[in-house]
Amino acid sequence: MGRDTYLKKVLGEDRYQKVQGSTVLMVGAGGIGCELLKNLMLSGYGTIHIVDLDTITLSNLNRQFLFRKGDIDQSKSITIKKAVESFNFHGTKLISHHGNIMDTDQFPIDWWDQFSYIFNALDNLEARRYVNKMALFLKKPVMESGTTGFDGYVQPIFPYKTECFDCQPKATPQTFPVCTIRSTPSKPIHCITWAKEFLFQQLFDESVEGDAEDLSNATDNDKELENLLKESNELVELRKLVVATGEVISQNTFFSEMVRKIFQIDIERLLLIDTLWTNRLKPIPISDAQIEEVADLIRSGGIEQRLESLIDTQVWSPLENLLVLYKSATNLQTRMKNNKFIAFDKDDEDTLDFVVTAANLRSLIFQIDTLSKFDVKQIAGNIIPAIATTNAIISGFSNLESLNFLAQNSRTDSSMVFISIRPNKYVTSATLEAPRKQCASCSVARGILKSEEGTLDQVTLEQFIDKVKSKYSYSSDISIILGKSKLIYDFDFDDNLSKSLSEIGFKTGELVLIQDEDDEVENLELYIEVGLKSNDIELPELELRQKILIEKENGHENGVGKDAEEESGDVIESDMAFETIVIEDEVEEEVPAPKKRRIN
Amino acid sequence: MEQESLTADEIALYDRQIRLWGMGTQLRLRSAKVLVINLSAVGTEVVKNLVLGGLNSLEILDSSKVKEEDFSAQFFLPNDDSIVGDLKLLHALPQIQELNNRVTITSNTRPLNENEGSYFKKFDLVIATELSSKSEILWLNGITRESNIPLYVSGLHGMFGYIINDLIRHESEAEREIGNQPRVVGTSISGNKTIIGVQYNKLTNKELVKVEDVYSQLDNVLSSKKVSSQLNKRQMRRLSASLPLIFTLFDWQRPTDIEADLDNSKLKAAAINMCQHLNIPSTVITDEYVELVCKQAFTEFSPTAAILGGCLAQDVIQFLSKKESPINNCLILDGIRSEMPIYSL
Ligand SMILES: [Zn+2]
Repeated sequence: MGRDTYLKKVLGEDRYQKVQGSTVLMVGAGGIGCELLKNLMLSGYGTIHIVDLDTITLSNLNRQFLFRKGDIDQSKSITIKKAVESFNFHGTKLISHHGNIMDTDQFPIDWWDQFSYIFNALDNLEARRYVNKMALFLKKPVMESGTTGFDGYVQPIFPYKTECFDCQPKATPQTFPVCTIRSTPSKPIHCITWAKEFLFQQLFDESVEGDAEDLSNATDNDKELENLLKESNELVELRKLVVATGEVISQNTFFSEMVRKIFQIDIERLLLIDTLWTNRLKPIPISDAQIEEVADLIRSGGIEQRLESLIDTQVWSPLENLLVLYKSATNLQTRMKNNKFIAFDKDDEDTLDFVVTAANLRSLIFQIDTLSKFDVKQIAGNIIPAIATTNAIISGFSNLESLNFLAQNSRTDSSMVFISIRPNKYVTSATLEAPRKQCASCSVARGILKSEEGTLDQVTLEQFIDKVKSKYSYSSDISIILGKSKLIYDFDFDDNLSKSLSEIGFKTGELVLIQDEDDEVENLELYIEVGLKSNDIELPELELRQKILIEKENGHENGVGKDAEEESGDVIESDMAFETIVIEDEVEEEVPAPKKRRIN
Repeated sequence: MEQESLTADEIALYDRQIRLWGMGTQLRLRSAKVLVINLSAVGTEVVKNLVLGGLNSLEILDSSKVKEEDFSAQFFLPNDDSIVGDLKLLHALPQIQELNNRVTITSNTRPLNENEGSYFKKFDLVIATELSSKSEILWLNGITRESNIPLYVSGLHGMFGYIINDLIRHESEAEREIGNQPRVVGTSISGNKTIIGVQYNKLTNKELVKVEDVYSQLDNVLSSKKVSSQLNKRQMRRLSASLPLIFTLFDWQRPTDIEADLDNSKLKAAAINMCQHLNIPSTVITDEYVELVCKQAFTEFSPTAAILGGCLAQDVIQFLSKKESPINNCLILDGIRSEMPIYSL
């Protein structure tokens, strides 16, 4: 048949058959997902499951080529399946799931067990970590990938054999000291953080309703601390004004009260603390005249016209910022009558406008450059630039490296690939390294605890402990943690011994962490799977390693890669490289900070 | 031109890329007229990426008829056996237009060699994929040189592929982090890239660096002996057989029977001969690679097409943006080793 002649020649007959017989999972149907699904289908994969919880937005369409304007607000996982049918040349069976991959009801562990390979095409750390963990439980290979702007990477993961996703620390979001945000901003991002994380939350969002914050660690300056507390308490009063129901509060009252408080009174109070300004430019509160000018415009009804002429990519004047602030604040106030709270969302124009203008007005006061709405949106919304070409390249490598798994020397043939555009090369590839002994995910043994519903009611914790101890030959006592952090047993906490496991909280999808009190053998994590017909609890066949041995094993492997690093060619100029450290992503992914690796 | 600006709708649609390359580059894309020759697997990927990016117009020149093997990686074709034998563009064009209705998509189904030199003058840039022979590459390059049009040529051999380009001359200018020492005008970055301007910006503590790329004509690229001088000992030791094998295939007749493999011993002999031409040791030619290429020569494969097409489209955008220095002038994709070396030939 002509259709698969090329595939047979490129993959070889044997491997082509394996690919056709494979059932694989693709998690994420966004930027990388659209490209990757196309590749996987055209490489002949037999069955592909697609999971995504997202819906399509306009800003996806510059790169997610399977989606159209008419698909906006539709489910990605369902739309993508329909879109690719037009080129399903090799009869791939597609199964889409609209849902959160971390949902254990929709995706129990035996569902995961059907896949021979897992492709990550994800946009957030949490889901990546979860998939990584499931792969460790089931010892399934994963292809991890990510892109941001011109940069991208793929990382094949063979659980317990090569580095997992958690082996390398990931860049964490930038944070700032409270006093910088609240009293002494010096950069636009400080003012944006203040407007989004503090002012907006206090006035409209649920999370801090009425609660006094703990500021004791914020500053050593007592006057400043007192000041911060006063500011917060007054905002609580202001919030009451926002949500005042029953009585009619004039929109003007809320707006002018707010502006006076946050841009005049609070600033004047800050100015009284001399020590803050010895080495800094003093802030200049908004003038009465400026507030009056806005009030006049509001009264005369001429503001709509002015608002219409504003352009998002240009920097607005102080008056324009005040007008947009007025408009967004009153819109939000109206919406609060029906909602208990409103969360900031970069795609919610009212919330964005409020944050943009509040941040800019604060910047003006502190003599910091103001930014366009377009630019503030990027910072406030953690928007990571994303383009079609990078996604195409990375999904190509994701697919290519996965095919090594089906070839003979899968682990040694696979490598990590980074895009790194230089005059003499386009990508850098690096051999896979052994798991790091410090890795919290790799230094734990994992298995599945099988049981049926009734059994969990009958077996007591004490019986369970006896079983575990004899199965894995613990010589000392153990401690047990259920879920994220619930201690259910250790040597001086035996209250639960006579309770049944279901009473304690054992149920499908829960994790049980068992630790050796003497710290001699590695930790054991069990995934509870209920449903099996059995009269007893079934523990996984595992041999727990001595901690000393793990260190020896890994210590040796780590030594190999350490000193080998990229040998720079004579003609490479360093500035052509992209040095990237990336934080949060909304659509595609984070690229881990580049580190020294053994380069192929 | 200077007064033109993007509309609010365009900014909303292209938001995520404008944040990367700026309004200026987006405007340059919007005014660019590009010709893609042959809607092969690589051509398909290039077209997808550039149409999404937001060109002014894109013309596709392809006179071929749909063949059964096109249903491997050419995803703009509808999944329908009955279209075999029809003009390919007839069936692919509607799907391409659907990607982005802001880009004008046109087609030309006249055979390539029947187009006069003047035809190419209406394009700002030409991308040709899977040209039938070396002589066709050189014929096209002759035309683009004469009309001062930048040219990219690309093709796939299964897990392997190439991009060679003659962009004639290109200047790019961008602010860059300062290094240990100030940059110096006249410094050669690689064979054909030179720093021609450096301006220190006190405010940002960065240098505004201007780089000039000068390109060789493709007949010089394909007969170059410069490879060995660009590699240090270690790089030379690690050199894969992909470069000489791909260069060998430029002189190879495309097989008419797609099922047949190339003659192993003939290919090996030709590749060893090519090593001598390239001035690299013939020991880089391994039996493993010869065997792979015998099977994979001239075949199309989706993941490598995506990599090559992504790279090529990205480089076109770099070229148009005038901010980054483009590929100069021979990129080799080795999908076995996951390597993409670039040589200045
Ligand atoms: Zn790990």
